[in-house]
Amino acid sequence: MLDQLKELCAINGVSGDEDAVRAFIKEKAESYADSIRTDALGSLIVFKKGKKATGNKLMLCAHMDEVGVIVTKITDEGFLKFDFVGGVDRRVAIGKPVVLGEKQVPGIIGLKAIHLVTRDEMKKVPKTDALYIDIGAKDKEAAEALVELGAYGSFVGAPELLGNGLLKAKAIDDRVGCAVMLELLKEDLPLDVTFAFTAQEEVGTRGAFGAAFSVTPEIALVLETTTAADLPGVEDHRKVCAPGKGPVISYMDGATIYDRSLFEALRDLAEANGIPWQTKEYIAGGNDARTIQRTKAGVRVAAMSAAVRYLHAPASVGSISDFDNMLKLTRLFLAHAAQSL
Amino acid sequence: MNYDNILARLCAVGAPSGFESPVAEIAAELLRPFLDEVKIDRMGNVVGVRRCGRENAKKLLLDAHLDEIGFLITGHEEGFLRFAPLGGVDPRMLPDRELTILTEPPMLGVVACMPPHIQTSEDMGKSQPIKDLFIDVGLTQEEAEQRIPVGTPAVYRTGCSPLGADLLCGKALDDRACFAILMDAAERLVGEELDVDLYVLGSTQEETHSTGAITAAYGIVPDLCAAVDVTHGDSPDASKDKTFPLGGGPVIGVGPNCTRWLSKRLERKAKELDMDCQIEVMAGHSGTNGWPLQISREGVATAVLSLPLRYMHTPIETAHKADMTNTAKLLAAFVKGIGEEADSRA
Repeated sequence: MLDQLKELCAINGVSGDEDAVRAFIKEKAESYADSIRTDALGSLIVFKKGKKATGNKLMLCAHMDEVGVIVTKITDEGFLKFDFVGGVDRRVAIGKPVVLGEKQVPGIIGLKAIHLVTRDEMKKVPKTDALYIDIGAKDKEAAEALVELGAYGSFVGAPELLGNGLLKAKAIDDRVGCAVMLELLKEDLPLDVTFAFTAQEEVGTRGAFGAAFSVTPEIALVLETTTAADLPGVEDHRKVCAPGKGPVISYMDGATIYDRSLFEALRDLAEANGIPWQTKEYIAGGNDARTIQRTKAGVRVAAMSAAVRYLHAPASVGSISDFDNMLKLTRLFLAHAAQSL
Repeated sequence: MNYDNILARLCAVGAPSGFESPVAEIAAELLRPFLDEVKIDRMGNVVGVRRCGRENAKKLLLDAHLDEIGFLITGHEEGFLRFAPLGGVDPRMLPDRELTILTEPPMLGVVACMPPHIQTSEDMGKSQPIKDLFIDVGLTQEEAEQRIPVGTPAVYRTGCSPLGADLLCGKALDDRACFAILMDAAERLVGEELDVDLYVLGSTQEETHSTGAITAAYGIVPDLCAAVDVTHGDSPDASKDKTFPLGGGPVIGVGPNCTRWLSKRLERKAKELDMDCQIEVMAGHSGTNGWPLQISREGVATAVLSLPLRYMHTPIETAHKADMTNTAKLLAAFVKGIGEEADSRA
C-alpha cells in the first residue's frame, strides 16, 4: 500500500481540480468495481459487491482533494497574486515551490532577502494579500502566456521516508484514505461496499453532500487524517494524537458527535485484535462525516484517521504503521458490519 | 557555459560554512581544464592559477565563495533537534521547511511547526525565532542523540532548477552562481594572451567571517583582486532603491571598498562590449570578500562585481542566466590587458 500511497500523494489535486487524482483512482479501481461513476461535483462513487448482499447500507469515504493555492491576479511585473484553497497557515507557504495550472508551471512564493528586512518586519508574517508567486516571467504578458487566472497551484515535494517508519509527503490528507480504499477494493469483501472518493472536502466538505445523498447509506466510515501536535513544549492535553500510536478513532470533533456504538465497535475490534489505537484528546477539526451524518433521515457515522504532523503543509509527516493499521482495522470493521447489517 | 548543468551540480551539494569539502572537490575538478594548476589549500579553499609567463607579472585574484548558509544542530529534545543558523537566515523561511542533515549518509529533516489549533490568530501573525524552532527527524531521543551528534551541519533540501525560460532558482546560488561565472570567464580566456598571473579562488567560510579569503590572499599575495558575489535582485516586496532588476546586467561596485580605477575599468569594458550594467554605491562594507581582501598584507587594489539575486539566503535564491553570462564576459574583458593598466599606474 505504501507505494500506491506515495503515487497518490505525488498527484496534484487541489479542491475543485481533482481530475488527475480521480483519473488515477478510476483506472486502478475499474477492474475490481461492479459499478463506477463520477457525480456532478466530481466525486467518484465505486460500488463493489461482497459475500452478503447489503446494497447501499455501508459506505466508506475518503476525499481526493488537497489544500493549495489559486491565482487571483497577474501583476504588471509578471508576478501572480493568489488565495489559499482550504485552510493553510500562511507561515508554511512562504518560500515554498508550487506548480500551477494545466501546464504545471513551476513557481515559488517569494520573500525578500533577510538583509532588506527591518527588525520589526522580521517578527511579523506577511498577510496573504502581500504574498506573491514568482514564475520567472519578465512581465504580465509573459506570465499570461504560462498561467491563467483561476489556475490552481499545488505544493511540491516528493514523498520520502523520514526517520524510523515515518512518511513525509504533501497531501497525505487524504490520499491515505484513498489508498486504504483502493487496497480494500482489490479484496473479496464480506458485504457490499460503496467507496466514495469525494471532491472538495477542504473547502467545506462539499463533495460529500452529493455523494451521501446519492448513496444514502445506513452506516458510513470516513477514512481520514487528523492533526498531531506531539511536539516538544506542547502541553500533553493539547497534543491531540501522535503518529505511530495507531489509528485515531474519534468520539467527537469540532463538527460531529460520532455514533457511539460504531466508536465502541472500532475500539473493541482494535483491542481484541491487538491493533494499537488512540483517540483525539482535543476537540477540534471536522471532516466529511459531519455532512454525511446529516444527509436525508440521517446516517450513523464513524471516523478513523491517521495522526499527521504538519497537516495542510507541503511536508506532512505520518506513520507507515498507522496507515497499515487503518487498513487492518477497516477490514475488521467490514467483517463486523457484515454481521450486523 | 551551461549554467543549468553546472549549477545543478554545484548547488546539489550540501556544504555550509566550515564544511565545504564536498563542493570544493567538484569545484576543483570543474575548474581544472581552464587553468595550469588547481589545488585545495589548508583552509579548504580551491585555488587555481594560470601563469602568463612574464617575469615579475602582477597577480590578479578573482574570488567567489563556495560555502552556503546553513544550520548547526545544537541539541536534542524528545527526539527533535534544536539548531542554530550558520549565516543570516530569516526565521520566516523555516516553518515546515525540508532540510538535509549532513550525517553519513545524509538524512531528511522537517522544521516542525505548531498547528493552528494550539495557536491564537495573533500567534499566527508572528514569526517564531530560530531558538524556538526544532527539526523533526522521526527518531526517538536516544536514536537522535546517537545518529545526529551536536555540531552536525544541515542545509536546505533543494538544488537548482529553471524558473521560467531565463531564471535559475535554488539554494547556494549565493555564491556558487558566481563561482560558475569565474569558470566561464576562465574558459573565455583560454588561448588568449594574459599580462598577469590569473588566480581563481573558490573561498570557504565567507558567510561567517570571510576566513577562507583572508588566508588564501595571504598565501597568494595578489596585487589586484575582484570579489565576485551576489547583490540584491528586485522583487515586489523590496524597495527599488535597494535592489537591482534581474536581467539588468552585472552590477559594478563603487565606494571605499572598490579601487576607483578598477570600477572605472569595469564600466569602460561594459561600454566597449555594448553591455548593460548597473552601479551599486556602497558607503562602507561591501558585504563581500572584497572587504577583507582589500586590506590583505599591505593592501590590494579591489573591484567588487555582483550578480543580482532575488531572495538571497533562502532555498529559492533566483538569478538571471543572461546576467551570469554577461558578468563572465565583462570579467574576461576586465582581465585581458589589466597588467598594462596596472603598470601604467605604478
